[in-house]
Amino acid sequence: MFLIASQATVSLSVKILFACLLLALIVCLALEEKLHAKKSVIAGLFAVVCLFLGSVFQILPFAPVVVGSQPATESASPEVDESHTGGQHEGGHEVIMPVYVPAINWGVIAIILGSSLFVDVTSKSGLFTWIAIRVTKASRGDPLLLLYFYGTMTVIFSAVLNNVTAMIIVGSLTVVSLDKLKLRDKLLGFLLIEGLLTNIGGLLTLISSVPNIIVGTAANISFVEFFLKASPYVVVATIVTLMLGARLFAIRRIKDPEQKAKALEQVEGFDETDGIESWGFFWFSVVMLGLFIITIATTSVLPFISDLEMGFVALSFSAVMLIRYKAEADQFYKAIDWDLIAFFMSLFVVIYVMEYAHVLNEIGNGLQLVLSDITAESASAADTSMLLIGSAGFSSVTDNIPLAAMLANILNSLGTPHESGLWWSVIFGANLGGNLTPIGSASTLVAVTIMHKHRVPMSFGGFVKIAIPYAVVQIGMALVYVLLFLR
Amino acid sequence: MTNLDQFESVFKSADRQPFSEEPINLEKVLVVTDGDAQQTEQLNYQLRQFFGGLEHAIDPPYSSLMGDQFSNVKQLLEKIEQVQPDMICTLRNLHDPIPELPYSLGAYVDVMTQVISCPVLLVPRHDQWSKTNEVMAITDHLSGDNHLVSYAAALTSPGGTLILAHVEDEQAFTRYISTIGKIPTIDTAIAEEDIRDQLLKEPADYILSCQQALEQRSGHSIQVESVITLGHLLEDYKRLINRHEIDLLVLNTKDEDQLAMHGLAYPLAIELRDVPLLLL
Repeated sequence: MFLIASQATVSLSVKILFACLLLALIVCLALEEKLHAKKSVIAGLFAVVCLFLGSVFQILPFAPVVVGSQPATESASPEVDESHTGGQHEGGHEVIMPVYVPAINWGVIAIILGSSLFVDVTSKSGLFTWIAIRVTKASRGDPLLLLYFYGTMTVIFSAVLNNVTAMIIVGSLTVVSLDKLKLRDKLLGFLLIEGLLTNIGGLLTLISSVPNIIVGTAANISFVEFFLKASPYVVVATIVTLMLGARLFAIRRIKDPEQKAKALEQVEGFDETDGIESWGFFWFSVVMLGLFIITIATTSVLPFISDLEMGFVALSFSAVMLIRYKAEADQFYKAIDWDLIAFFMSLFVVIYVMEYAHVLNEIGNGLQLVLSDITAESASAADTSMLLIGSAGFSSVTDNIPLAAMLANILNSLGTPHESGLWWSVIFGANLGGNLTPIGSASTLVAVTIMHKHRVPMSFGGFVKIAIPYAVVQIGMALVYVLLFLR
Repeated sequence: MTNLDQFESVFKSADRQPFSEEPINLEKVLVVTDGDAQQTEQLNYQLRQFFGGLEHAIDPPYSSLMGDQFSNVKQLLEKIEQVQPDMICTLRNLHDPIPELPYSLGAYVDVMTQVISCPVLLVPRHDQWSKTNEVMAITDHLSGDNHLVSYAAALTSPGGTLILAHVEDEQAFTRYISTIGKIPTIDTAIAEEDIRDQLLKEPADYILSCQQALEQRSGHSIQVESVITLGHLLEDYKRLINRHEIDLLVLNTKDEDQLAMHGLAYPLAIELRDVPLLLL
């Protein structure tokens, strides 16, 4: 839901006040760990303050919202705020709802909620652990093969599930299997590479990461188009990252036949069926996961479904999966990352208020001064590079979701065409920036958390020092790729 | 299930310790008695009977230390050191004025079980033991104990039965659950059920892999039975041993944390005076 800014005038002092609030929110999110506060609490408090001040300064539209209307040349109801309808409309009916309800992009919330619930219930079938252990066995306990297989699995899980879940599954398996193989000294290398690859895998599909969902939906990029355009980069970046990781962390193949046999015996000790409670549910989950991916990929062309969008698909699949646990569905509701959901909702509210405070307009104007031509079908090399590197830099120090939401909103309202490479600059920058620092993305933060849990020392500076060669190579490759193929 | 600890638990649970049979070499057996040559020869004969049922009959050269060849523990240890046996066969309460004193094993056996690295076969003073058809291996931590199971399997006659028993200490379990019951953030009923299931699942998985390996091996096939329960360690083991009419009991006695014999092994070794015990 990207809204057209209100035409009402807003004084400079009010704009400055709200710009300061936006800046303060970004700083607080960057200092989340230091503040010992959850994202949802930080963003929630800012949303409350923004709404209150928006009301005080009378910049928010408190008129009824019209739903079910059709575009028209004349306004059907002069009392209705046009900002809610996106211009002149006729028909439909008025709905009275709190101003913060239409502020939230419910499509994005539905995708995140539905997908996480679907993944949670599917996990219960033992499918992901089965895959993870089969992959471990396929490596025969060889460290280099294990790195390649785990790396590839991280990318695929990040693409199909989400970055954080992928890191949790592969990271926890890495700890257990490296312990078993007496390769504890390689834990840092494995976890770091996996953490970095989650953000690469997060680029593979439209639903792989939140910035993709926000920017992709704003730019009207379909699932298939997104996949076709992003996948070549993901494949190359994964290979390069794995090869660089193997070299820098001295992860090599076992040559001694006796050691090979011992490693094989160790990994054969894993029982992939241990987590499977019911084979029926296991195979049901396999089918449902396949159907989920196919349906999400084809949502935009499926009759009836296309109007209901991807959020409906995600929620529907989670509802079907929950039938297996109908008596204990509440346990899955408890497991939902409500901090993340509340964070998104609060963030959308803040962005909404910023729009009415004309802060986004001013940022857009600033962006127009820096970038030569935002509305060009083929963005200039300088604009593309600047936006990608700027997005990466910004994402490395604070959450990439506010950046994605803000830039998507600005590019959309400034009329950036669907074909423009600027969208891809934001997508690549927002995703890959997370690899520069441990706080740049939730999944790298999970990787560092696993390191700390298993007493692998890793400071902020230490992470940056180790991760910088990978991040620079990945961002450099992304820049070349966007300039050559997506501009 | 997006919690880090949950996935780590799933993978740890999937990490099985399959049974891998260790080769058991019994090339030299030392028989230590406190009797004369005749008594020692009788014990040697009894041992040959005892091990004779094994397909690859364990018939190593038997060295003997008779009662007049050592008069203190130091002397005995020196003699053992010279022989370097793979197993020692001996009796309780060596050189004790009352050899059937049912409250101790005697100083010699105490020291042998803890100082000497090789297993000690403690046999009754009577001659009512002559076969190894029913062998029981017991521990309160069976999973992964290949050493214990390999010895027990090696000393079970072909076609005989090896009973692998794992009794989980119910008193300790109850105490922990009682403590969990006082922690509001942990659901006591779920914790009790899950912990019990997991405690009993691990030995069950391990015994299953022992069964698969031992029942299918060529040449020395034995039947493997399992007893896994939550109960009172000493009482339940005594009850199981009596119920199954065990010919040989195999148990661990060494404890890395202490010089004295392993907590459960000592009372069993004292009380079960009519059953041969292999103390590892």
